[in-house]
Amino acid sequence: MAELKLIGFLCNWCSYAGADMAGMARMKQPGELRIIRLPCTGRVNPLLILKAFQQGADGVLVSGCHPGDCHYNEGNYYARRRLELLSRMLPAFGIEPERFHFTWVSASEGARWADVVTEFTGKIEAMGKA
Amino acid sequence: MRIGVFVCQCGTNIAGTVATDKVAEAALAMRDVLHAETLQYTCSDPGQRAIIDAVQKKGLTRVVIAACSPRMHETTFRRTIGQAGMNAYMMEMVNIREHCSWIHSDIDTATDKAIDLVQKGVARVRRQVPLYSTTVPVTRRVLVIGGGVAGIQAALDIADSGLPVTLVERGPTIGGNMARLDKTFPTLDCSSCILTPRMVEAKQHENISLMVNTEIEQVRGYIGNFEVDVRKKATCVIEDKCTGCMICQEKCPGKAPDEFNAGVGQSKAISIPFPQAVPLVAALRKEHCRRFIKGKCGVCKKVCPADAVDYEQEDEITTEMFGAVVVATGYELYDWREAYPDYGGGQYPDVVTSLQYERMLSASGPTAGHVQRPSDGAEPKQVVFVSCVGSRDESVGRPLCCSVGCMYIAKQAILTKEHIPDSQSYVFYIDIRATGKGYEEFTRRAQKEFGAIYLRGRVGKIYPSNGQLVVMGTDTLSGGPVEIEADLVVLATGFAAARGAGELARKLNISYDQYEFLSESHPKLRPVETTTGGIFLAGACQAPKDIPDSVAQAGAAAAKVIGLLSRGEIETSPMVAAVDQLRCIGCFKCRDVCSYNAIEALELRDGRQVAKVIDSLCQGCGVCNVACPPSVVSLKGYTDNQLIAETMELLR
Amino acid sequence: MSDIVSIIQRVLGDVDLVLGWTATGAGGVAAPARFQTAAEAERAVFNATCVHNLAVHLPRLKDQTVGIVAKGCDSRSVAQLIQEREIDRDRVKVIGVRGLGGSIDVRKIWRFHGYGVPVDARTDSLFIDGKEVDRQEFLRQKCLGCRDMDPVIYDELFEASGSSITGIADAATVETALSETGLGTSLTAAEAMSAAGEDESRPLGELFAKMNSAERRLFWREQYSRCIRCYACREACPMCFCRDVCIMQTTDPHWTGAGVDAGEAEMMQLIRVNHLAGRCTGCGECERACPVGIPLMLLMNKQNQVIEELFGYRAGTDLEARPPLLTFDIKGDSRSEK
Ligand SMILES: Cc1cc2nc3c(=O)[nH]c(=O)nc-3n(C[C@H](O)[C@H](O)[C@H](O)COP(=O)(O)OP(=O)(O)OC[C@H]3O[C@@H](n4cnc5c(N)ncnc54)[C@H](O)[C@@H]3O)c2cc1C
Ligand code: SF4
Ligand code: SF4
Ligand code: SF4
Ligand code: FES
Repeated sequence: MAELKLIGFLCNWCSYAGADMAGMARMKQPGELRIIRLPCTGRVNPLLILKAFQQGADGVLVSGCHPGDCHYNEGNYYARRRLELLSRMLPAFGIEPERFHFTWVSASEGARWADVVTEFTGKIEAMGKA
Repeated sequence: MRIGVFVCQCGTNIAGTVATDKVAEAALAMRDVLHAETLQYTCSDPGQRAIIDAVQKKGLTRVVIAACSPRMHETTFRRTIGQAGMNAYMMEMVNIREHCSWIHSDIDTATDKAIDLVQKGVARVRRQVPLYSTTVPVTRRVLVIGGGVAGIQAALDIADSGLPVTLVERGPTIGGNMARLDKTFPTLDCSSCILTPRMVEAKQHENISLMVNTEIEQVRGYIGNFEVDVRKKATCVIEDKCTGCMICQEKCPGKAPDEFNAGVGQSKAISIPFPQAVPLVAALRKEHCRRFIKGKCGVCKKVCPADAVDYEQEDEITTEMFGAVVVATGYELYDWREAYPDYGGGQYPDVVTSLQYERMLSASGPTAGHVQRPSDGAEPKQVVFVSCVGSRDESVGRPLCCSVGCMYIAKQAILTKEHIPDSQSYVFYIDIRATGKGYEEFTRRAQKEFGAIYLRGRVGKIYPSNGQLVVMGTDTLSGGPVEIEADLVVLATGFAAARGAGELARKLNISYDQYEFLSESHPKLRPVETTTGGIFLAGACQAPKDIPDSVAQAGAAAAKVIGLLSRGEIETSPMVAAVDQLRCIGCFKCRDVCSYNAIEALELRDGRQVAKVIDSLCQGCGVCNVACPPSVVSLKGYTDNQLIAETMELLR
Repeated sequence: MSDIVSIIQRVLGDVDLVLGWTATGAGGVAAPARFQTAAEAERAVFNATCVHNLAVHLPRLKDQTVGIVAKGCDSRSVAQLIQEREIDRDRVKVIGVRGLGGSIDVRKIWRFHGYGVPVDARTDSLFIDGKEVDRQEFLRQKCLGCRDMDPVIYDELFEASGSSITGIADAATVETALSETGLGTSLTAAEAMSAAGEDESRPLGELFAKMNSAERRLFWREQYSRCIRCYACREACPMCFCRDVCIMQTTDPHWTGAGVDAGEAEMMQLIRVNHLAGRCTGCGECERACPVGIPLMLLMNKQNQVIEELFGYRAGTDLEARPPLLTFDIKGDSRSEK
């Protein structure tokens, strides 16, 4: 089986830093995920996620600061609405909603980040290629 | 387009798991890449020089550096390529260390991933355009939040440099927890003797304006220009009139808990926390005042010789501008009661916290320095110290070390012996952590000179028996269970963040950890900065620490503030949003979503209304970019096309 | 009760032009028209073949004062345009239509009775070639589930008929059936069948609801492969007012390429769905305009339903409301993320 293609869109301030933290602590993670850094989940255009699926992504992960902690105060509140809507629309587009995961990981949650990646990769592995 | 790719080995940090030469080789095959090399330590001087050399010799116009996290070295390498004569933003870092070599063990996996990431970086940098920052003038005034030793130190250091400082303390006096301490380790010098003069100095300093009973209400703005609303809470006492004579406190019939004395003893509804308080001004606590509870009384107003009592006083909110903020909100003791039912959960009066004991030892404390156990006032002969209550204890969800417990136990054991020569102290400990200068020697002295008996093990249970307490524990060194009869038990309770620290952090928009200790920007390289520009940390609000460390961090924060404000203006990030006004349809959805009011309407000559981004207000979040249907307000450095290209590249 | 001609003539006293209909289409079917003088307005009609949503013209007529004849559904588009500040409330006069028992899908008539057959589509009865037929059979699909019989905003009211509204009682049943899937479509069962390879008797919505992801992907691939990239869907949509800066036709940003294939067509529709979130009023014009019959409303209706569930919001029903994706609710926003 060809390798799974997983893309993660991470905000710079919390989740990207959380992923750094996991790295600093040498927390081993599956190798399929590729991370794209953005300033904030508020910069994540739902179209980007759809584009990724259209281009053959097997899973897309978005992670940002916990609600209330967005570096830009409100970015993740907008993201939450946009992405909630997106995830409910995925089935109508013919995309299994489980292939999309939206979560919050703070800069200090390195261990949580490693868990998120491991779990998500495992889930997509079980589902197979899109 | 001429792209150069530099693959860092980071010694073996990266090269140990990523075949860096293969990555460089693969990079050479990528579009527009005409130079690729591996470097042993890219951030080192030879590494940076190699980049500059390659840029100049090969005429590179864009650079991709595959190395550690951009959060670590993005600024470093921007400077490097700036030195090479390029625009600093024509560089892209891809993270093949934290996000790759350090989290994978398989070389093929890590190498494949690294190549993908470089490919993504190349795609992105191909669509990068030069960016230029602008400058904005700064407000040369500083806000310090929290008036403990750290806040005082920071305020004094900054004020000495000539910058005006507002020191905001939510309690009735500055001094913080250090004002409660009796003597301090490892020198045993008296805490008030060193702190009080600094408190007075802060009050009298011409550049410091002190606001007590005050909290931060709201914070707007950004580095260089924060607009802060502060709420001065009504205390029913007119600060300028009160002379600190304390007659009101003497005559007040309303009993109230004594917070300054950590609950040892009692205070009054109107009171001054302690005689050395700064400012020396009384405050009335409505929740304990008979006039406010029952509607009668008014004694304090009658007896006040200065006519300083005003029951009608209301909270006052004022707004001020500051260029920088130092947060020094300190800590509180962890509330151990619920988590430790086996220690009596607060039911036994003779089980006290370390801070309570500190007050019992203090000559200025409620017992005037005579150690008396709370239950019957008797002098305790057998004192047991229990370390790590709410620290280093996974079972109650607090694995963190309070970092000072071992030291203050030793101190308190010594002081116990000094106060009560025929007493015996026992200390239950897990490890003795004494890493500061003179600390190890100090804990030895407690045992050798002052006869404290140290037992290595956790205490399982404390229970009363025959008017005494029995402390059951294990001595892991001798291997057996031990039981010690105690007249007084002192719990070395752990550190918790100050109440409301998380809420304050949200107002300031800075990060904090799961215990609500405030997060520094980088644990090693930016220990006093926060992730929000212009906001700095000092003291125990960041993590448990002792006085020397708190003071040192305060000095460091002060230096950062002074450095920041010395320039009079600051560079703003050029990674802001910009509107293509020719294509803007004037729907103003961007303005609707911008949290910073950074978008305004502009009328073009043909009468069309279009959006315009105010650079100095835009923080670069990109929320508008997504809201804009034609995507014509775009975030520089993170344009749609850059993100699309990165995504497509990874899915090829 | 005023007739449509005199109402339009009256409104023309206040505005530069009025958007309405004349009966100049094939077989006497209504065709959109603009009236600038009282004489021109003599030709105005209103009947059940007035299907077009004339609000689509409003953003292009911003520098004029405009009167518009608007059915209940159309009035939501007008309201949404005002709410989005795209048009100025003071510069439109809405002639709201009330009492229309749903409009007629002339394509169904033409399919079974031949193109151009004379049609007399009243609000309570339908005559094809002079013979009365069951009006309900020829109602537009979207009218069956209509929740907006009365205009949301109006300055003048035109009573289309005093008669009872046909079809609506039964529509309730249809609506329940459709709302379970969240779908409604004007496609025939035959077309649905060819798309989904299933039993002819079932409506497309039901079929679609039963498909799994892989089948849906295939379904859309087939549907989109017919797209000729004419942009009729976009042009017909009153809410698509980016016009010549539309991101379906630019490389900056480069969301779609210039090719005509299923992949590009899919991206175009995903863009439309995304851009119309919280803005689509469900008027159905996009699907009606599509020359190759792609069931575009499957996605639009689904999204409208999800938005109503998530945010309690229906576009074009409240001039003061804040569009759901331009705001948030810190506590109330439901979240599946974690
Ligand atoms: C029992 C005990 C004994 C100790 N003995 C020693 C010792 O011998 N030697 C030593 O080096 N260290 C000792 N320490 C540690 C010492 O207390 C701390 O290192 C020191 O007090 C930290 O100072 P700080 O200014 O950071 O915090 P704090 O002293 O806690 O001061 C913080 C101040 O900020 C205020 N504040 C909090 N939140 C807000 C807000 N939202 N708005 C405005 N103001 C706010 C608080 O009211 C307080 O005044 C001891 C600690 C304990 C518990
Ligand atoms: S959202 Fe886009 S089109 Fe609308 S006003 Fe802002 S920049 Fe212009
Ligand atoms: S990027 Fe846009 S939304 Fe964010 S602060 Fe700048 S102008 Fe406002
Ligand atoms: S998307 Fe279709 S149904 Fe929605 S408003 Fe536009 S034309 Fe009408
Ligand atoms: S910065 Fe992390 S979600 Fe906004």
